[in-house]
Formats: sequence, structure tokens, C-alpha cells
Amino acid sequence: MTVLETPPKGVVRRSRKAVARSAFGDRSRLALLGLLLLAAGAGAALLGWGVFGGGRATRPLLDPMIVDTLRSQPLLWRWVAIAAGVVVFVIGVVWAVRSLRPERRPDLLLESASDTTLLVTGSAAAEAVADRAAELPGVSRARGRMVGKDDDPALRLTVWLTDEADVVAVCRALDEEIVTEAREALGVAHLPVAVRLELDSVTHGPRVA
Amino acid sequence: MRVLLRTLSPLLGLALAAVGVLFVVEVVAAWVRPDATSGLVVPWQAWQAALGDLTWADGPVRVVSICVGVLGLLLLLVALLARRHDVALTSPTPAMTVATTPRVLARIVGRHVRESDDVAAATVSASARKVVVRAEGWPESDGGLGGLRSDVRARTTELLETLPLARTPRLAVTTRGRKDPR
Repeated sequence: MTVLETPPKGVVRRSRKAVARSAFGDRSRLALLGLLLLAAGAGAALLGWGVFGGGRATRPLLDPMIVDTLRSQPLLWRWVAIAAGVVVFVIGVVWAVRSLRPERRPDLLLESASDTTLLVTGSAAAEAVADRAAELPGVSRARGRMVGKDDDPALRLTVWLTDEADVVAVCRALDEEIVTEAREALGVAHLPVAVRLELDSVTHGPRVA
Repeated sequence: MRVLLRTLSPLLGLALAAVGVLFVVEVVAAWVRPDATSGLVVPWQAWQAALGDLTWADGPVRVVSICVGVLGLLLLLVALLARRHDVALTSPTPAMTVATTPRVLARIVGRHVRESDDVAAATVSASARKVVVRAEGWPESDGGLGGLRSDVRARTTELLETLPLARTPRLAVTTRGRKDPR
């Protein structure tokens, strides 16, 4: 009789995160920029309509009061402007690099000693699992990929089902046969897995028999 | 929307970096060339003169302000709407997460609905919360489509109960009669 062991909470969370690449960073930065532009545009429009006072609306955009303040301490404001430019440049570069950086494919570190290291590359482990999954009934093809951090990797398995596939049976076979086998082969107690189900493209038979 | 986010993000990052570099270059250039009448890359001195003449109440300033606000609102909408629309499925163990796309769910439902002899054509749109089936068929002898509607509803409900969906979506069925012979 098999006793089902409840996996730690971290494993459950990692399996959920592994479903797809996170776009949280890009969405947050874009939302922040959108909010800043919205606030600036709305503020300037309200200022122009005299909501903050008629006197303020008729003042020039480049207010002489502000120009005088800047000219009173030119050295200080030059350094402030250079620092602001550098900060904007760094934010922009970090944003672009993080957006363009490919998703991490961590390797599985099985054993590490002072003189030996036993490592299974992420692509080898994921391809082996995907090849086994593709042999299941109802599965036409499968693709595997290790995702996450080096110290807590997870497996993302994309499975293309045939028209006749039993979705429940495929999920159960993936867990009981494929993932269990992979865990035992790799010697890891828990392997978070995210499965993405796709339908294989429709195949038409020959028009002429 | 996700594709737009993936395209916009690096472009905006690079644009921001370019603005930062230009700003530093112009400040340093103005510092070392105090007598220059024009900027090194950007004609900021002409802009400075124009900004000194314009007031907040001027028409062009209001138009530009509104445009900036609308652009900000659009970016905010892209950020909010670019979330994943996966359909969650029940998994055999907690260490496994199973998901699919609304497109796949719509294809499964559509295929099942079209298997009925009474359905001439069907279009399906699906999400994790709702499945909408628009079926076309032939009217009954009294001209009604009640039988087709109940048949499509029964078939779809049966399928949705069979699929291991984490949350059963609401079902909406609309029908349309065909005039051509069966």
C-alpha cells in the first residue's frame, strides 16, 4: 500500500510558479511608469484649467522662480542633474536587461563533496522526462524544461494530447509513473512539477483514399 | 496583451536608458562649454526659450498633458490586463500543478458540441469562469430552437463535469436557426 506523503509548502508553491514564466517584474515596472505619466498628465491638465488657482495657471512652464533657484547654486544642481541622469540610465538598463534575459534553466546538483560534484544538466533531466511522457497513451508529444533557482528547481512539462486522450488518466500517469520515476532516478525527495496541457493540431486524413 | 507587454518592456527600458544618457551628456556639455548657443545632441536651449514663453493655461500644453495622461492610462491598462488566463485543472498531488489555456478548453468543448447531428456549426469562447457556446442548427417543425439549445447545454454540461477542472465554469448557450435544407 502506498502512503502519500504531504509535500512541504515550498514544493507546492514552486510547482505553481513553474507553470509559466513570471511577468510580475515587467508588469510592475510598466504599471509604475503608467501611474507616473497618468499623474503627471492629469496634474498638468488640472493646473492648466486653474483647479489649483488661476494665478498658477498663467505662470510659465519654466517658472523664473525655479530658474533663479537653480542658478543660485549651479554646482550643486549640476551634480544633482548628473546623478538623476545616471539613476534614470541605470533603471532603464536594468529594466531592459531583465526583460530580455532568457529564463533560467537550472541544473540538478545531486552530490557535492570537496573533490567531486555530481550534476545532471537541466536539459538532460527535462528531456529524459519529456521523452518518457511522450510514450504515454493519449500523449502525442511532450517538452520538458527545468525552471526556477539553482537551489530549488522545478520541472515544467508541456504535454500535447491527442483527440482521444483521457485528461485525468494522463495526469495520473504523469504523476505515478513519470515523475515518481524521475524522482527516484535523480534521488530527490520532492520534485515540483507544472504540467501545461495542449491539444495537438488537427490532423486530416487523405482526401483521396 | 502578454505579447505587447513583452515587446514594450525592453523598448521602454532602452528608451529610459537613452533619456538618462542624453541628460548626463547635455549637463556635462553645458558645464564644459558655457558659451555654446545650442545643445550637443538635443536643442534644449530652443526648448528652454519656448517653455519660458508658454503658460500652463495655453492650449498646446493642455493637449500634451491630456495625451501624456492617456498614454499613462494605456500603459497601466496593458500592465493590468497582461496577466495569465490559464484554466486550472485538478492535480493528482499537491506537488503537481496542471493548467491549460482557454483556447484548448474551447477546442475540446467545440469538438464535443459539433459531434451532435443536430448541430450544423458552433463557435465556442472559453475562460476559467465562463464558457459561451454559439450553436447553429435547423429549426424544429414549430420553428423553435429549444430542443437544440437544451441538447447543446446537456452535452456541454456533461463534458465539463467529466473534465478535471479546478472550478466548473458557468455555461451560456445561444442558438441560431439555419434556413438551408438539412
